[in-house]
Amino acid sequence: MNSGRLRGGIQFSCPLTGLSSPFEGIPSPPKVIVPLQQDQGGVCTPRVKKHDVVLVGQLIGESPNQNGASIHAPLSGKVTEVIKAFQDIHGRAIPAVAIESDGQSQRFEAQAGAEPFAALQGAGVVDFDRMTVPLAAKLEEARARKVNTLIVNALDIEPLLSSRGRLLLEEVQAIAAGIDAVRKTLDVNRVLLAADADANEAIAAATKTFGGSVQILPLRNKYPQAVDYLIAKRALNVEVPFAHGVRIADIGALVVGVEAMTAVGRNQPVVERFISVANGKGHIKNLRVPIGTPIGTVLEHCRITPEPGGKILAGGPMTGPAVAGLDQPVTKEFLGIYVQGRREVVKPAEAVCIKCGLCVEACPMRLMPFLISGFAEKGMLAETQNYDIFTCIECGCCAYICPVRIPMVQFITFAKKQIMDQRKDA
Amino acid sequence: MKQPEFVVSAWPHIHSGNSVRNMMLHLIIALLPAVAAAFFVFGVDTLRVVTIAIISAVFWDAVLQKIFKRSLSIGDLNAAASGLMFAMLMPATVPWWVLVVGTLVMLLLGKHVYGGLGCNPFNGVLIAYVALLLSYPGLVGDTPVPTSDMMMTQNPPLMELKEKGAEFLDETFPLQDLFLGSTLITGTIGEISKLALLVGGLFLILRRKISWIIPTGFLIGLAGVATIFWLIDPETYASPLFHLLAGGSLLAAFFLATDWTTSPVTKTGMALFALVCGVMTMAIRLWSQWPEGAYFAVFMVSMLTPFFDKLRPKIFGSKFNHQRQAQS
Repeated sequence: MNSGRLRGGIQFSCPLTGLSSPFEGIPSPPKVIVPLQQDQGGVCTPRVKKHDVVLVGQLIGESPNQNGASIHAPLSGKVTEVIKAFQDIHGRAIPAVAIESDGQSQRFEAQAGAEPFAALQGAGVVDFDRMTVPLAAKLEEARARKVNTLIVNALDIEPLLSSRGRLLLEEVQAIAAGIDAVRKTLDVNRVLLAADADANEAIAAATKTFGGSVQILPLRNKYPQAVDYLIAKRALNVEVPFAHGVRIADIGALVVGVEAMTAVGRNQPVVERFISVANGKGHIKNLRVPIGTPIGTVLEHCRITPEPGGKILAGGPMTGPAVAGLDQPVTKEFLGIYVQGRREVVKPAEAVCIKCGLCVEACPMRLMPFLISGFAEKGMLAETQNYDIFTCIECGCCAYICPVRIPMVQFITFAKKQIMDQRKDA
Repeated sequence: MKQPEFVVSAWPHIHSGNSVRNMMLHLIIALLPAVAAAFFVFGVDTLRVVTIAIISAVFWDAVLQKIFKRSLSIGDLNAAASGLMFAMLMPATVPWWVLVVGTLVMLLLGKHVYGGLGCNPFNGVLIAYVALLLSYPGLVGDTPVPTSDMMMTQNPPLMELKEKGAEFLDETFPLQDLFLGSTLITGTIGEISKLALLVGGLFLILRRKISWIIPTGFLIGLAGVATIFWLIDPETYASPLFHLLAGGSLLAAFFLATDWTTSPVTKTGMALFALVCGVMTMAIRLWSQWPEGAYFAVFMVSMLTPFFDKLRPKIFGSKFNHQRQAQS
């Protein structure tokens, strides 16, 4: 077993209640708004008009390129509007389709027998993590670079979110089918499954289903080990440089999350998202949420009342983007929903860095976060690059541990954006 | 319906709860066993020194924050912890005004002239110690405190070594008394019980407030040099065990060299810094006019901290061999 150690990171002690709470459906919302960009693949072209009648799983936005992910109607009903500029969770103005439910949930019958990669693009599968890369693009890259190792990632990305551990237990058959499909198309001869060591039940189920065909890697929880590059290190003991023109595919490996494998195994368009909904009081629920459902509706179902002055996060407490309103729809980019009360909101301090070195110890990429963030704060962009700012995966461990609560991720992401803008202008 | 308003800000949205106040509180708690040991040896004088040092440190901190127009932050306990730390380096007989002057120097030259906590290149406690030792050597440096009629010498251990050589050290200072602390052996308040310092230091390490690397490296460096000389000539040179337990070795290793601001941040940097501190301590003890070198050593070596900080770790993926691994 050539597994590598992960330096840095943070060991959270979280309640494990999420792992034992089954996925629940939520009542079909009367109206959904489906943004037409939900991944890294670009803005989809609307394929429906106002007053069109759509069925569950019917194409409503077509991917702009062959290896993107298209977008499908999450419920059956009537298109009430094709919005030209809808403001999504990242603040981008993108087209969106508003659909009013007819309460029937009638499914659209897709034509069978399509070519695998086209089918993925057609099914709108993405790798459901922070990067949301369309699965078709990942597989195409893997095929081009002759990948022979598949790493299925069942590790939950953030503390308090447990949807992946739970999904592995509930959808182990679909995941098995998904693995078989990928194995066929990619000439994979080794399959590894990384799972949280705390998810005993899921690991037992996986062992029973897969037998010897999949090597199971139970890992003790350590944030942020679920990131592709870190999981590749832990599974294969190779460190692939982050953002340096090298890809994980270059070492012959492909890392895919369990949600994507489930979607491939089910062989149906992606119209719902498996997420955990949690708040700071230890309330964790796993839900199947139709894409486009407003956050407010989801929270009502969970009986969580958000506090004004608190935060609503489209993801976990470490890296989830903060959302301004409850009407924001759930998309493929949501890793979960985390609701924070007013008192729990972390206020950045006015003090300066005391050079304690805790961030250096916590950084999983072995960077000097306090220096990069300090240079970024002063606008010294060349220095931030000397200290490898682009190797930062923005996991937030540094700011989490900082005794003076310097918003290091904020400074670093801002500097990255400034550098990118300068490069564009040049 | 009016939408409730939510906060939108950068991640991470949760925090460990770690704070300067929390770290300083840990430091204060870690020093309490040493204070208790000193109280056992010197009695009420210990409390007098500690109290005056803490109160005047907090007072000066508040005054200087006012003068430098900074927001009042004595609540972060930095001044209180520094005051207590400073008292550790003082003999129990020190006059009250020396403590008041010392804490002023500590907070002015060791904190506020540089821009406040985190900006100082030197540990304020050591600046104050050095300033006082040079200004009032008689009051601060070698004032022995007779505590027991049974004492074989009124000198602290390292002074005895400097003046009389290594020959009778074992009889004068039984190792057990050096380690546990007893009324037979004098020193500054923080130098009495090594056991108490060890307990406090391990507490800080286990609570992950300081790195284990610095104390370990310090003690290895110190014991290494001491061992070499002791092996060459055990008649002239004291044993490494004596050097580890005498004077301020443990106090400097666990509490001064680990000062967050003035010690390096990377593991390699910490290790080298600590080793150099240990070696420098021995160099001063062996070849200078001063009996004790641990505090001077940390003070001087912290000048090299910016250099040690250049020894940063190789970033993730830097060992990646682009040709070889891309093929396999």
